[in-house]
Amino acid sequence: MPTSVISFYQPKFGQIHCPFFSNMSIPSHRTPHKGKAAAARCCQRRMDATLGEHDRNYYTLLGVSIDSTSQQIKEAYRKLQKKYHPDIAGQKGHDRALLMNEAYKVLMSRDMRRQYNASIGWFQNSFGKDASGVDYSVWNGPLRPQALFVDQNACIGCRECVYHARNTFTMDESLGCARVKVQYGDDETEIQVSVDLCPVNCIYWVDAEELQVLEYLIQPHPKKGYGIYGQGWERPTNVFMAAEAFKKQLKQQAANRQI
Amino acid sequence: MAAEPAYTVASDSETTGEEKSSSPLSEISIGIDIGTSQCSIAVWNGSQVEVLKNTRNQKLMRSYVTFKSDFPSGGVSNQLAHEYDMLTGATIFNMKRLIGRLDTDSVVHASKNLPFLVQTLNIGVRPFIAALVNNMWRSTTPEEVLAIFLIELRAMAEVQLKRPVRNVVLTIPVSFSRFQLSRIERACAMAGLHVLRLMPEPTAVALLYAQQQQQAVHENMGSGSEKNALIFNMGAGYCDVAVTATAGGVSQIKALAGFTLGGEDMLQNIMHHLLPEMDNLFSSHGIEEIRKIGLLRVATQDAIHKLSFQPSVQINVDLGNGIQICKVLDRNEFEAVNQKVFEKCASLIGQCLREAKVEVEDVNDVILVGGCSYIPKIKSILTSVCKRGELYAEMNPLEAAVCGAALEGAVASGINDPFGSLDLLTIQATPLNIGIRADGNSFVPIVQRNTTMPARRELIFTTVHDNQTEALIIVYEGDETVEETNHLLGYFKITGIPPAPKGIPEINVCMDIDASNVLRVFAGVIMPGAQHPAAPFMEVRMPTVDDGHGWCAEALHRTYGSTLDLITVQKKVQK
Repeated sequence: MPTSVISFYQPKFGQIHCPFFSNMSIPSHRTPHKGKAAAARCCQRRMDATLGEHDRNYYTLLGVSIDSTSQQIKEAYRKLQKKYHPDIAGQKGHDRALLMNEAYKVLMSRDMRRQYNASIGWFQNSFGKDASGVDYSVWNGPLRPQALFVDQNACIGCRECVYHARNTFTMDESLGCARVKVQYGDDETEIQVSVDLCPVNCIYWVDAEELQVLEYLIQPHPKKGYGIYGQGWERPTNVFMAAEAFKKQLKQQAANRQI
Repeated sequence: MAAEPAYTVASDSETTGEEKSSSPLSEISIGIDIGTSQCSIAVWNGSQVEVLKNTRNQKLMRSYVTFKSDFPSGGVSNQLAHEYDMLTGATIFNMKRLIGRLDTDSVVHASKNLPFLVQTLNIGVRPFIAALVNNMWRSTTPEEVLAIFLIELRAMAEVQLKRPVRNVVLTIPVSFSRFQLSRIERACAMAGLHVLRLMPEPTAVALLYAQQQQQAVHENMGSGSEKNALIFNMGAGYCDVAVTATAGGVSQIKALAGFTLGGEDMLQNIMHHLLPEMDNLFSSHGIEEIRKIGLLRVATQDAIHKLSFQPSVQINVDLGNGIQICKVLDRNEFEAVNQKVFEKCASLIGQCLREAKVEVEDVNDVILVGGCSYIPKIKSILTSVCKRGELYAEMNPLEAAVCGAALEGAVASGINDPFGSLDLLTIQATPLNIGIRADGNSFVPIVQRNTTMPARRELIFTTVHDNQTEALIIVYEGDETVEETNHLLGYFKITGIPPAPKGIPEINVCMDIDASNVLRVFAGVIMPGAQHPAAPFMEVRMPTVDDGHGWCAEALHRTYGSTLDLITVQKKVQK
């Protein structure tokens, strides 16, 4: 395993930046600050609470897709600043502008962006290709909370899904089963049709954060052999269980590192 | 003796209320550029920026206040019969160089040969400044002088705009500390003005540039892609540099750099060059000395102005008592005498480009503004450091800053323009590091300079003694690593740290800077594993120190030593 996987368990969005003050509202200068104690207790609540579900990560905050170039990020950032900067939106824009500045800073720096991507469960495509030849799906449009995943153990290679949503699914001829090529490559009804039509129901909606692990694990991995016996390729029989175990293992690894 | 002043003094806190102008046209903020030597005022008139003229049809007014009889009068309304009238001892000027500085500051010491009284005791208090009125030294402060001047500006604007003026956007030098900014706000409060924004001068120019680029796009002349500009602004008192990235009317400040350096320094250098024993001759500050120093000052100033347009100049001054100066000063000599000034300019530009992480080749436009922009050497420094033949020529170098301030005033007041001329935004950056004293006598920055505003950063500290229950948070601003050489902004104590071995309690210090540059410091204690902080968090608005803050830091050291110290916690982020 490449070591970069360790950073999987970096703090999530909102935790990175001032967790203890993340949703303190900025009181106006004149009004007495009524909730010092209450504000200080905010440490457990995350930015998600104030910004709503769709703003959960820096990419959705800036409204850019996860593979966008820095030029696109820059443009999106400027456009949003024109809407939310406190000069224009008033004091209520403060918190959002803070977040956008943080998002911009992270996404414009190559290293910080890579680290951040890992923390939200997204590996750079290069990781897949360079390290292990894993085929990860790419995203069309902004990152969403749900992602499509084909359990290739169950897939019978009927091509039904590829037929109905050709921009989303692809047939992996060497393995004889389908996989997701582009998340949300087609519109939602077409995708839903494909999901419903699968005769073995092997297309799942999963958490976007889980996706990377699942896609990594479903690839056949070389199997340790004993002498001439038992060599070959294998994949976990239940990929969802395997993902749980894998995550636990990572957590352990991260914990060990810290000590 | 003097009559009641013609203004009311409001308290500091009143200047920064939450009065986001709820935007009828009458609430448009005006832009004011108070220079060390000249001043101007501009306003968005509904379709464009208009620089207001005084009754004598001048756009640029000299910044000074003359204390004559009962009522002081300033350069807005008053016409000087002759330049020499400014040098009788009754006129205070250069207040921008003096405001918010202590009597240990070298800039204050250099101001001692101005033709009015500047006394220093070198103990870290405000200098004693006085004007000669009816053969008596009448004491004043830079804030008061500035306030009197601002009242005149305000009155002038109100007459012309036929409405009350309350909100202003003021341009300030990049190198001003927060303490100096609070003095400016104080002066505005005394003049009944509410400061909407204090805008570093080059960022105001950057906003004007953004608007010009935006208009070029509308007229299909520009490409609309991102443009980097380097702005160099040098006036009589201060030198500022900014690097900005501009696209779609948004000016994003990438880096700022500034220094107390300007035409005044060149003037002083040349005066010392012409009359090396000047400081001894004029140290007694009698009426006669003031007159002589004034003569020399006017002659030198005149010569420097002429040198911008001709290769050499003849200086003739008779200072009496057999001191006579007859000299031909040429450009080479002028440049040699001021070599250090020019070197500093070049190094500031280099520093700013480095910190902006922009290569010289990627700079699209180089903008030179300010009173010193006519000096040939400044132009040649800029063209050589930035490696180009031409400088940006679409701006009036003396009006660019005030126009930018007026634009910001309109944008921040929520004014919309149907033609999109106000579809603008400045994204500011912090000019100085802000941090606290920790790790012994070190300055640990929490908000690094050139951080995009609004900004919020936090750092975790811990105790250095077992069972330490209190900790002192001393907030500084500046660029030095040793805490003493930075500006003290304020201090407060965290109490109620649960007794524990050293290094266990986590003291979380967070700094928050909003878009109008208000700094808040939050601090609190969290014990590891605990869900809730051990004591209520504290929120402190900075700066909290007032005058004589040089003493405070020493007193804190003396009284508490290292008993209330903190050290930084190694970051727990795994790589």
